[in-house]
Amino acid sequence: MSEEKIVKTLCRMCDDHCGIDVHVKDGKVVKIEGNREHEWNHGRLCIKGSHGVEMIYAKDRIHKPLKKTENGFVEISLEQALDEICEKLGKIRDEYGARSIGVWKGEATGFAQEEELARRWIHALGSSNYFSNDSECSIARLIGASLVYGRWSAQPNYPNSRCIVIWGSNPPHAHPNMTQQINAAREKGAKLIVIDPRYSAMARQADIYVQVKPGSDGALAHGIARELIAHGWIDREFIDNYSVGYDKYEAYVQKFDYAYVSGECGIDAAALIPQIAAELHKAAPRVAIYVGNGLEHHENGINNIRAVFCLDGLLGSVDAEGGNYFSVPSGQRSLTIYNERPLLEQGPIGVDKYPVLYDYHKECHTMTLMDAILSGKPYPFKALVMTAANPVLTNPNTPKVKKALASLDLFVVRDLFLTETAQLADYVLPAASYLERSELHTFSGLQKIALTSRVLQPEPDVQDEYQFFHDTAHRLGAGEWFPWKDEDELNEWLVEDCAFTIEDLKNNPSGYHYAEHQFQKYKANAAAGKKPFNTPTGKMEFACQYLKDLGYQELPEYFPPRSNASPSAEYPFTLVTGARKVMYYHGRNHNLPGLASAMPDPEIEMNPQDAERLHVASGDVVRVTSAIGSIEIPVAVMQEGEIGVGVVQITHGWKQADVNRITHDDRFDPISGFPLMKAVQVKIEKV
Amino acid sequence: MKTVTINPKNCVGCRNCEMACAYAQTGDSCARKWANIRVVNNVPMRFVMPMTCFHCEEAWCMDVCPAHAITRNEQTGAVVIDQSRCAGCKMCILACPYGNIHFDHEAMVSRKCDLCGGDPECVKHCIGGALQFEDIDEFEERKSRSINAKIASLLNV
Repeated sequence: MSEEKIVKTLCRMCDDHCGIDVHVKDGKVVKIEGNREHEWNHGRLCIKGSHGVEMIYAKDRIHKPLKKTENGFVEISLEQALDEICEKLGKIRDEYGARSIGVWKGEATGFAQEEELARRWIHALGSSNYFSNDSECSIARLIGASLVYGRWSAQPNYPNSRCIVIWGSNPPHAHPNMTQQINAAREKGAKLIVIDPRYSAMARQADIYVQVKPGSDGALAHGIARELIAHGWIDREFIDNYSVGYDKYEAYVQKFDYAYVSGECGIDAAALIPQIAAELHKAAPRVAIYVGNGLEHHENGINNIRAVFCLDGLLGSVDAEGGNYFSVPSGQRSLTIYNERPLLEQGPIGVDKYPVLYDYHKECHTMTLMDAILSGKPYPFKALVMTAANPVLTNPNTPKVKKALASLDLFVVRDLFLTETAQLADYVLPAASYLERSELHTFSGLQKIALTSRVLQPEPDVQDEYQFFHDTAHRLGAGEWFPWKDEDELNEWLVEDCAFTIEDLKNNPSGYHYAEHQFQKYKANAAAGKKPFNTPTGKMEFACQYLKDLGYQELPEYFPPRSNASPSAEYPFTLVTGARKVMYYHGRNHNLPGLASAMPDPEIEMNPQDAERLHVASGDVVRVTSAIGSIEIPVAVMQEGEIGVGVVQITHGWKQADVNRITHDDRFDPISGFPLMKAVQVKIEKV
Repeated sequence: MKTVTINPKNCVGCRNCEMACAYAQTGDSCARKWANIRVVNNVPMRFVMPMTCFHCEEAWCMDVCPAHAITRNEQTGAVVIDQSRCAGCKMCILACPYGNIHFDHEAMVSRKCDLCGGDPECVKHCIGGALQFEDIDEFEERKSRSINAKIASLLNV
């Protein structure tokens, strides 16, 4: 019997990467606790984090490669699987061209390298068709912020903030330990403003909570801007020296008076907007506005997001201490080969419809992919390699997703489990979990970088992403792009240009602090004769010529959501989807009995007045129908005030009541291509 | 002696404490019914707070227990129930002024917080920082410091 030892590494049960202490005894993980020395989570973990043990040793984990036969899946050796997959990929490439092959990155296994490796691999093979969950999650915020001021601050500088605005996000469930950062600032006197159609967990501690109608965020942002401008509570020095388009923007927001905003947002704007503006003014520039996924899944998403980020310009909180801070990069090398092999001439799928999505994040469009697979247009798409994604549950219009993926000539899925998506695959390869790999991760807000520990040696047929991409690239004649023997060698290469070494990272398992914070870098940039901001004009852009040239609106114009502009008699309810539940991570963890026992059943969250009108109580089953389809789901009647009248919410990820059977893959934000998933018009009937 | 202290101003009602407690108690379930810590979420009052045993110095539950099933662990200071002695009379539940003892309808005995033997899981899972495991003097000092900051800001000093 050996001694119990503790290995420090990072959690990957979600994308927050909390520091963890993994207790190992006799070669087995026996317990996972928070690392008390880690600056992000200070020893605390959400319930997912400690349940990493349950996931690693889950009975239904895949240990051997699976091949689909007439008699279902059969186990085969890794060598056979890789040989057969590469032989088929080679044939498809010869017959239909490289662009008929794609790769799709998910969120379930690795750290940051997984994405860049997938991008590198597909371009090395000669195709530009890289897909990921990002074309329907998170990247609309990156695009919105980048259009306004050239960067996205995914982690505002909360510790120094005096006013925190959480807009369309619920950190306690979505980024659990971000809550600690927010509360620490509140303990020092920071005010908290929460804007959300749901009275979320974060809203429970808000000094000001605003329950807006789904998709009306842009109207509120412009209403706040109008108020700040009317009082002269704006940073003139910043606006005059570092922005463009202000005069047009100022003129535009004048129409967002209290009456208009009240009507659009369903709030008492005359009472709320002066309060919000006063708090922002008192705290400026130490205002940290965090925009969540809630703004992304709308037909007016990008312009609403731009509208919110324009407030940073008014307040001078861009890159400010306590504001939306742009972290200093670590100097880690990039694995992408967009300069060496851009392959734009191949027409990456979706780039013609959503050029901004490709310009700003080199993302192909997954919703368009489904149509391309089914129609063979604009060109035949035949093979897809997917690493740990589950679009059957997470992409809109599940029936179409299933039909499309099942009709591929070759569909390969790498995952820990035989997910709803993996069941459609021709080959399923067992993937290494986060405890069976060693990768780099940067905490941008803290400016710390960490090397994760390979706590457990993967089983013989279980591979990390690097090994898989390496082995297949070498078989397909693209080995030159994957010269490193394994991910350890790759890690060494990635930090070669940095001011630190892998040894430094090994010696600092709670994170290596690679740079001091530097605020308002646009001033230093200007003084050095460089562009202050990474935008086409080099300035913060209230008005965007780039968008205008592409035929979009120059200003962040507000278009009322369909549920406001054209209420439907047939579909009178507004369905929000995707509110996070802390024990789940999108489609993940539903197969883990311990975790799932915390919330075993799906539910539709409903206001008590609506429940009364529909004659339903908690637990009663209703049928929810949109223009796309229909599902049946039990009701959860909320307390009055938790969700607006006429608004309902269903979280994604439940196969027994999969809300994406009724979300839209035919209504998009025209700029980002993000699907309409948070203001779906539905009807509800008691079953 | 350390105890679990509660700052309701940092509680967001995420219920990670409940889930962690339930799992620590059962080893296989995060269901709320097994949790000894319970979050109160009163939306009309906009009040949210986790509630768990305070391990009173003069523990009325202990005094009232006819089976002498409730004792104090000298090492941790926790007031604990020996479920093998508990008669299921529920007097402890009636005696607790805070509603912090719960009835196990399967085992037909009372259950309550035992501080996980001195390393409470609820605190380690409190992602808002509302729960701390500390000496009560530390809690007093932290509370006093935060009040100082408030007074200073009000007086503008």
